[in-house]
Amino acid sequence: MDHESNAILQLPVSIVSPVDIGRLVREIDAVDNFLREAAIRQPGTKIKMPRTSRLMDELVLVNKLNILMEPDRVRLAEFLRSIKTEAPIMHFSFSADPSPIFTQKLMTWLRREIHPLVLIRVGLQPNIGAGCTLRTNNKYFDFSLRQHFKQSREILAQRLRGSIS
Amino acid sequence: MNILDLVLIICSILTATVAFIWVAVKLTDKSGGKNKSVTDTYTELAEHDVEHVFNDEFREELRNRGRLHFEKIIGENAMFLQQDLQLTTSQLNEYMKDEITRKLQEEFAKYEESITDAKQLAIESINKTQEAIEQQRVIMGQQLQQELGNEKARLVKRFEENLADIVNHYVLIAIGDQIDLNNQLEYILADLEANKKAIIEDITNGS
Repeated sequence: MDHESNAILQLPVSIVSPVDIGRLVREIDAVDNFLREAAIRQPGTKIKMPRTSRLMDELVLVNKLNILMEPDRVRLAEFLRSIKTEAPIMHFSFSADPSPIFTQKLMTWLRREIHPLVLIRVGLQPNIGAGCTLRTNNKYFDFSLRQHFKQSREILAQRLRGSIS
Repeated sequence: MNILDLVLIICSILTATVAFIWVAVKLTDKSGGKNKSVTDTYTELAEHDVEHVFNDEFREELRNRGRLHFEKIIGENAMFLQQDLQLTTSQLNEYMKDEITRKLQEEFAKYEESITDAKQLAIESINKTQEAIEQQRVIMGQQLQQELGNEKARLVKRFEENLADIVNHYVLIAIGDQIDLNNQLEYILADLEANKKAIIEDITNGS
């Protein structure tokens, strides 16, 4: 991964998943196309300015970019495309849909402790009870309540035997 | 009247007939002897006297006397025959009674012996069957106890193996609605922190 060339650009914690990156890529392409069309348009032709999303606004704000400027726009597009293809992706599964605040806190920790450009996919797995499961490229981590119960099964069995006998 | 009585009556009639013939022959012999011993001279006289003495009345008288004697003999023989017959019948009845009684007793004894043997055999068979049943019951009881023990151990083992899922399911049913994901963030981050090195290594070195 070419971290050095994109070192100055940061991903805000509100950008979470590859889906968000794909949406931002399409958005920056739309802006770029609009500006190109605007440059070659006939005077008096009515054009429609594409609206930027909250994520794009935040990304631009965090990185102090001006997407009306072509170098910044190109740089941002390259950055997003490199992230789309190369950023590490982690698959989390929770028992319920996580709230945006929860996701932001989790992303903050992951970007700080694991990787600054990490993305996550969130899935649902209601039978795990509490906690989460994590799947990376080659490993599977089970941080669920069920796994905790399995690890402490002997203690529970001993307590049950003690209460029965 | 049975055949024996009929035979006895016929025998008595034949005996009476023989006696009658014997009397007639004796009488004939007496008259014959006299005729041989007298001379021819007196033959005609004798014949005349005979005809005179043994006239029709005398002959009728003799016939009557012979008939009466014959009837007397017949009556006496009939009486004897009746007595013999009664005695024989009585003896025969007694004999038959004794024989039948003896045979019946023998048969009853054999029957009783057979019943006793059969009863003994049945008792032995029942005892053997009871012993076999008792042994089978003991074996089945032991097998049942063993099966119950195995089943209990299997159930306990299965319960203990699935204990985590059971408790997890129970917790989910009981307080699943009250578990807030936001409250779990601290524990999730602690788990992530504990496995941070492995996660980083997998992300860094993984394909």
